[in-house]
Amino acid sequence: MRRAVALIVASGLLFAVVTGCAPTYPKEKVAESIVRLCKKEYKLDVKVATIGKTVAIYAPLADLWDPMFALTKHAGEELNDIILSISRVSLSTDADYKFYVVIAHDTRLPEIQIIIVKAVEDVKRFMLSDISRGEFSKRMLIDKRISPQAKKEHAIKEVFEKMGLDRKWQDAVMNDFFRSQPASLGDIGYWNGRFYVKDVSLPEFLAEQIAARIKMEFFEERKLADAVLIKSTRGEYVSLAGKSYFQIWVSAESKTFGQTGTPAMSNIIFKNSLDVIAAVLHGYRFENYEYIEITDEAAARSIKVTKEMLEDFRKKKLTFDNLLSQTG
Amino acid sequence: MTPQRLKIILMYVKLYRLKIIVVVAAIIVLVFAIMGLMSLESFYRNITLAQLPIQILLTVLSAFIFVIMYLKWGTSMMAQLTTKRPRGKFVQVKWSDVIGMEEAKREAWEVVQLIKDRAKVKKIGGKIVRGILMIGPPGCGKTYLAKAIATEAGIPFLAMSGSSFVEIFVGVGASKVRKLFKQARMLAEGYGGCIIFIDELDSIGSNRIFNAFGSQEKDSTQNQMLAEIDGVQEKEQNIIIIGATNADEQYLDPAMLRPGRFDRKLYIDKPNLQDRERIFEYYFSKIKYDKQSIDMKHLAKRAVYKTPAEIENIVKEAALIAARDQREEVSYKHISEAIERIEMGLKHKRYMTPKEKEMVAYHESGHLVVLYLLHPTDDVFKASIVGRREALGVVYHQPREELFTKSRDAFLADIKVSLAGFVAEKVRFGITSSGVASDFWTAMRIAHSMVWELGMNDAGLVGDYTAIPETQLSDHTKETLNNETNKIFQKCLKDVEDLLIKEKVILERFVKELLEKEELDYDEIEKIFQEYGKFHAKDL
Repeated sequence: MRRAVALIVASGLLFAVVTGCAPTYPKEKVAESIVRLCKKEYKLDVKVATIGKTVAIYAPLADLWDPMFALTKHAGEELNDIILSISRVSLSTDADYKFYVVIAHDTRLPEIQIIIVKAVEDVKRFMLSDISRGEFSKRMLIDKRISPQAKKEHAIKEVFEKMGLDRKWQDAVMNDFFRSQPASLGDIGYWNGRFYVKDVSLPEFLAEQIAARIKMEFFEERKLADAVLIKSTRGEYVSLAGKSYFQIWVSAESKTFGQTGTPAMSNIIFKNSLDVIAAVLHGYRFENYEYIEITDEAAARSIKVTKEMLEDFRKKKLTFDNLLSQTG
Repeated sequence: MTPQRLKIILMYVKLYRLKIIVVVAAIIVLVFAIMGLMSLESFYRNITLAQLPIQILLTVLSAFIFVIMYLKWGTSMMAQLTTKRPRGKFVQVKWSDVIGMEEAKREAWEVVQLIKDRAKVKKIGGKIVRGILMIGPPGCGKTYLAKAIATEAGIPFLAMSGSSFVEIFVGVGASKVRKLFKQARMLAEGYGGCIIFIDELDSIGSNRIFNAFGSQEKDSTQNQMLAEIDGVQEKEQNIIIIGATNADEQYLDPAMLRPGRFDRKLYIDKPNLQDRERIFEYYFSKIKYDKQSIDMKHLAKRAVYKTPAEIENIVKEAALIAARDQREEVSYKHISEAIERIEMGLKHKRYMTPKEKEMVAYHESGHLVVLYLLHPTDDVFKASIVGRREALGVVYHQPREELFTKSRDAFLADIKVSLAGFVAEKVRFGITSSGVASDFWTAMRIAHSMVWELGMNDAGLVGDYTAIPETQLSDHTKETLNNETNKIFQKCLKDVEDLLIKEKVILERFVKELLEKEELDYDEIEKIFQEYGKFHAKDL
């Protein structure tokens, strides 16, 4: 009797383990699976494109924006459904996708698009409770912008109109000069039935994330928000002539009269930016860089912090003042 | 599928229905679990599977903690309620394996025939045997015989000890009885019969107490047992209940022994000389032994009053001693040592002063000489001045055959042997030691019993005066009885003194031998007496 029970349990487990290994969404059918899932479960029509290790979804949504250009509740839910669908597929596939991009726009205003970029690894870690919900949402890149392609096409059309050029060349000019694949994450979009997507790499994703998080830090932290107004932040990962480094630009002004561009103001920007950078790079265990360069555009002042110094700063072995003295 | 097979399958379904339900439920749960798992997407499925080992570990850990807590704090309350279910099984004890109880075997064979020819017995209107009571001392093979009956009858055997029914909570014992009979009924249904064997029946079968404070737990267990036996009778199921007890019949409740219950009695006594010989042969057949030195007849004589279990123990002990001595086979020496070890205990050497040692040698030699020359029934097997247990020395003797009565001469000889140690010390040293205390107690007890209980006195006071409360005896009677007791005591003392003075040379010789060798065996003792032309009292 005992042997029979043991046999039943063992075969059940073996069966479960063996069948558990098969992916639900095979790599050949990833795009098809996402489209089917969105249609079947959420009644949403989407288009999917893959490039390298990135999956892109285009979703035209009705009533995406309210009159104040904020996301409507309904659209928010639909976006969540799309994100959930792509997350499900990217997690349960044997295809090695690293990032996914969601491009959505209001059917009434196709020029204004919302772009969401997520790392599949972050989704996995969140599902396994390895990162918190707050951290997970901070790791997501979300941008609302006018489609760069739309801008370009409008500009070309205007040029053709103003110069009275033959319109038959308009499309050829656009194809030759303005419809190339995007060079940065900022160029990602969908326009006129065509995906403008690039294969997202981890360093550029991190650079964008750092920039976004610095901005968020200065906005969310009460003391910082009271003292500094961040106008813009940009991040870039540069890999040139065997050198790899992150370059971050922060454009900010002091809320206290006369403080903008002062060393004290710069130091506040540098210190808090470094906190964010150290946390992000450590969070992704990213080490393929030599240094970080942060530029306070208002003060036209930069600091270069090496990887080792940043690690010491993170571990509190190095104070910000010491770090500053070492960077000169 | 034959009806018999179907019956057996149905019996197992009934017998193990709980286990079957559990297994089927487990399979259903497992199937649903697998189905549930399969319905998950591979990522969630992998997470679930990845968590499975830790979940199993946690489950095992929590179960382990629960068991520890249960055993530590829960057992005193709950374990008493647990009932171990006896497992019915087919035993394999052949009839030929039962040796040393020919008389009991003959009677038991009759029982086997009655079980087998149940239909025939019913046809001619005979009474079906329901209960058999085996009575006899422990270690005589009652359980073995019961198993042999089950083997011969070809039916399952359910064995439980009477003490396992005894519980602190009223009703638990009775519930165990119900379970036992329920299982027996199922087995009987499947296999056409079943034997229930209850060892130590006296623990639940002793006289019930009826008083104002209500019955005891044991009584309710016994009542349930009686009701179940009657139930078996009414339903005419082929269930035979065999009870075994070491206690006397009179200690069992009369209700247990009335017809229809334990009405067939088998007396299983200690084996006689021939039986002991066969038992020795049986156990020696299982080990390697020296056929030259070991004589089964001689061993059977040495093992007077020994039970089969004791004989088995002797042979096993001898095998251990032989192994310890790096011998390939067991010799008589090993058997002898085994008997001594079992009977007298392990040697325990103590440091004694020469004077003390001499006194002990005189004391034991006194016992030895008087025993050999005066005792009508006992043989001397060993004399020793090596300490064993509490004693500083010992003279090991026993009857050469089973005696069921004892003569006046034998009683007197026992008293004289007991007093011989004291007299020997007195004859040699003029003073005596504390070693005589137990000897005096034995001698006095025998003399007192002879006079007070057995009518062995010259005053004409015949009868058991211990049956009458002492306060109801006249002072004269008591005085007379005590005087008679003293007379026997003094007479024996005088006889022993005369004998030891007369045989002083032999006494001194044994003292010398004991001081030199510390121990003398049967043959050595015989040889010395023969040197002086003396023979054992039994041979005269």
